[in-house]
Amino acid sequence: MKVAVQLDRRRRTLLYTGLSVTVVLAVVIAGSFAVDAASTTQLAGRNLSPSWAHPFGTDRLGRDMFARVLSGLRLSLVVGVSAAAISGVLAVLMACAAAVGGRVVDRAITWVVDLFLALPHLVLLILLAFALGGGTRAVIIAVAITHWPSLTRVLRGHARHVVSSDYVAISRQLGRGRWWIARRHVAPQLLGHFLVGTVLLFPHAILHEAALSFLGLGVDPAEPSIGVLLAESMRFLSAGAWWLAVLPGLCLLVVVKLVDAIGENVRALLDPRSHHL
Amino acid sequence: MKRVGMVLAGVLVLAGCAAGVDSKSGSGGQTPKELRLAIGGESADGYDPTLGWGRYGSPLFQSTLLTRDPELNVVNDLATKHSVSANGLVWTVDLRADAKFSDGKPVTAEDVAYTFTAASKSGGLTDVTALAKAVAVDNDTVELQLKRPQSTFVNRLISLGIVPKHAHGKDYARKPIGSGPFTLVQWDQGQQLIVQRNENYYGTKPAFERIVFTFTGEDASLAAAKAGQVSMAAVPSSLAKTTVAGMKVVPVKSVDNRGIVFPYVADTGKKSADAGPIGNNVTSDKAVRQAINQAVDRQALVDGVLEGYGSPATGPVDGMPWYEPSSAIQGNDPAKAEELLETAGWKDSDGDGIRERAGVKAEFTLLYKADDTIRQGLALSVADMVKPIGVRITPKGVSWDVIDKRLHADAVLFGWGSHDPSEMYNLYSATQAGVEYWNPGYYTNPIVQKNLDAAMAATDQATATKFWKAAQRDAQGNGFGPAGDAAWAWLVNLQHTYFVSDCLDVGKPQIEPHGHGWPITAGITGWRWSC
Repeated sequence: MKVAVQLDRRRRTLLYTGLSVTVVLAVVIAGSFAVDAASTTQLAGRNLSPSWAHPFGTDRLGRDMFARVLSGLRLSLVVGVSAAAISGVLAVLMACAAAVGGRVVDRAITWVVDLFLALPHLVLLILLAFALGGGTRAVIIAVAITHWPSLTRVLRGHARHVVSSDYVAISRQLGRGRWWIARRHVAPQLLGHFLVGTVLLFPHAILHEAALSFLGLGVDPAEPSIGVLLAESMRFLSAGAWWLAVLPGLCLLVVVKLVDAIGENVRALLDPRSHHL
Repeated sequence: MKRVGMVLAGVLVLAGCAAGVDSKSGSGGQTPKELRLAIGGESADGYDPTLGWGRYGSPLFQSTLLTRDPELNVVNDLATKHSVSANGLVWTVDLRADAKFSDGKPVTAEDVAYTFTAASKSGGLTDVTALAKAVAVDNDTVELQLKRPQSTFVNRLISLGIVPKHAHGKDYARKPIGSGPFTLVQWDQGQQLIVQRNENYYGTKPAFERIVFTFTGEDASLAAAKAGQVSMAAVPSSLAKTTVAGMKVVPVKSVDNRGIVFPYVADTGKKSADAGPIGNNVTSDKAVRQAINQAVDRQALVDGVLEGYGSPATGPVDGMPWYEPSSAIQGNDPAKAEELLETAGWKDSDGDGIRERAGVKAEFTLLYKADDTIRQGLALSVADMVKPIGVRITPKGVSWDVIDKRLHADAVLFGWGSHDPSEMYNLYSATQAGVEYWNPGYYTNPIVQKNLDAAMAATDQATATKFWKAAQRDAQGNGFGPAGDAAWAWLVNLQHTYFVSDCLDVGKPQIEPHGHGWPITAGITGWRWSC
C-alpha cells in the first residue's frame, strides 16, 4: 500500500514536471515564430479588445498582443536561461574553490558573497545595466552576473561538508591534489543542489529582466518584452484597456510558476527526503 | 469597462465640486476671481526675458514691442510703428507713451535699448546675436542696429519682453517687474505660479483677477481636471479620448511637426567635427527619398498614431504665412514610389523583398528618441509602410547621446515647429550643416540657398515671404520640398489637446509652435468666462 502511494506520487510529480517542461518549450518555439507578427503594425486595427482574431487584443499601433506576449515570454526565457546557467556555473566554481582553496580563498569568497548580498539587488542591476549601455545584451549580462551569491553560499556550505568527510581526508593522504579532489569528490556531490538551485534562479532572473525593462533600462522599447509591455499598458489602463496589462502579466506569472514548479519537483525527485521534511 | 470608468469619473467630479474656480463670487453668471490651469510650461530659469523667458506664449509679466494676432499677422503692442532702413541694417521702433511698468514708472526707449543689449550679451535662448547696438534716439524712439540684414529679426521684437532698466538685476528672474497684463504674486518652484491682474496694464485687461498655474505631470493634470480642480489641462492626444464632465476637448492646430531627416550626402568616409560619420549611400539618392515621401500614408499616421489629433505634414512650416502649398504632395501612392525606384535602378533581383542597386541594399536605420511614444509609433509605422515598396527601414529607439553621434549617417526622426522662419533657414541652409541639430543631413542646394539668403536679407516681410516660399518650391520646381530634393520626409503636424472647462471661452487660439502647453497662453488676455 505504502509503496503504491509513493510510486503514485513520484509518477504524478514526473508527469507534472514533463507537462511544465513541454509548456515552457512550446512557449519558446511559438515565441520564435511570433517575432515577425509581434512587430508588424496595423494602424487600422489598433486598441482592439480581445477577440478570436486577436486573443489578447491589439496595442496602440495595432500590433497583435498575443504574438507580442509570446515573443516577450521567449525573450524572458532566453534571459532566464542564460542568467541561470552563468550564475549556476559561477556558484559551483566558487563553492569548489572555497572548499579546497584553503582559509584565505574561503574568507575572500565569503566576503564577496556577503558584499553582493548586502547591496540591494535591483539597485545593483540598474547600475550594471546603465554602465553597460542599456539594450538587450546589457540586461542579459547584468542579470546573469548578479544572481550567483545566494546559490554560492548554499553550495559552499555543502562543499565544505563534503571536504571534511573521511574519504576526502583519505584521498588527500593518498596524495591527491586539490584540483583532483574538487573535480572528483566535491563537484559530483554538488550536482543535485546545483540543478535545483539553478532552476530556482530562473524565476528571479525573469522577473528582474521584466523589472529592468519596465523601468526603461532594459531592452529596446520597440522590442516586445513583458516588462516593456507592462510599462506601455500603464498609459492605457485609465482608458479601460485592461487586457494590455492583465494578460501579459498573467502569462508571465504562469510561466514563472511553471518553471518554479519544475525546480521544486526536480528537488523532490533527486532528494525525496528533503521533500518530506 | 467604459461604463465603470464613467461612473468613477462622475464620483470624482462629485467629490471635488469646487469646479476649478474660487466660488467667492457665487454662481450667478459672474466671472470667478481665480482661474486654475494645469498646462505645464514652468520656466526653470525664472521669468527674465533676456535669458529666454516668454519665447512661446504670453510672457505674462512683460510685454513685447510687437505681437502676433490669432492669424499670426504681426501687430503692434508696445510699439506704435516700426520701419527698416533700405539696407536692412537699422530697425527704428516708435513706442506708445502710455505704457507703465507695474511699479508705476513709464516704459521708455531707454528700457527697450537696455533689454536688447542685455539679451544679446546674455546669450540666452532668444537669439539676438545679430544685434550690433541698440540706441535710444529720444524718449519714445529706439534704433536697433544689426550686424547683417535679418528679416527674421522681427521675431525678436515679437518674443523679447521689455524689462525695466532701473529694476533689472540678478534676482529679476524671481521677482519680475514689467508692463505685461499680470504681476507675480508667488512662485513655488516645481509646484505652482500665482499671478495677479496688472491694473496698470495699457491693453485689454484680463477677465480674471488671479490665475494659478499648477505644474503637474500629464496624468496628474488629467486627474486634476477630472476632480474639477482646474479649468484647463494640457493632456497628450492619447489621453484626449477620455471624457471629463463639465469640460470639452479643445484641439489646437500647431506647426509642432515630426519628420525624418535623411543624410543627404553619400558616405565618403568623411567625419564631422566631433568624429561622427557623415553620409549614407542609400538616402543620398534622391529617388529613395522621394519614394519614401510618396509611399507614406500620412493620414493613417494621423488617425493611428495621433488618434486623429493632427494633420498630414509635407513641409516644416505648414499653415504659416510663408508656407508654399505647391510644395506639398499627396503621398500614399506606393505605385508611384515603386516607379521612382525602378527608374533610378533600384531592383529586387535576389527576391528577398528588398531592392538593391550596384550591390547596395535599399535599407537604412531610423533613429528616434526611445521614450517618446509618438515618435516610436511614427517610426515603426513608417518602416512598415515602406516595406511593400522594397525599402527596409530599421527603427531604433535610442537616447540623444546616440543620436548626437549618428545623426549625420542615419535617418533621424525629429520634431520642430516655430513661428519664426529662421528655423526653416537653419534646417536647410548649407551654412548650418552639422551645426547643433540644424541641417544634420548636410543638405545643400545652391538655388535653395540663394532663395534662403535672399529671404533673410529682405527688408520687408512681403519680399521675405516670397523668397521663403521659393525655397520650398520655385517656379522651375526646384526646392527642398518633397517634390524637389525631398531632403526630409515630413510626416505629421500635431494638434495640442487641452481639456477646457465648458465655461471658459479661450477664443480662437493661434497655430502653436513646438511645445505643448504654455503656447496656449498667447491669447490669455482675451479669455472670458461664459457661464
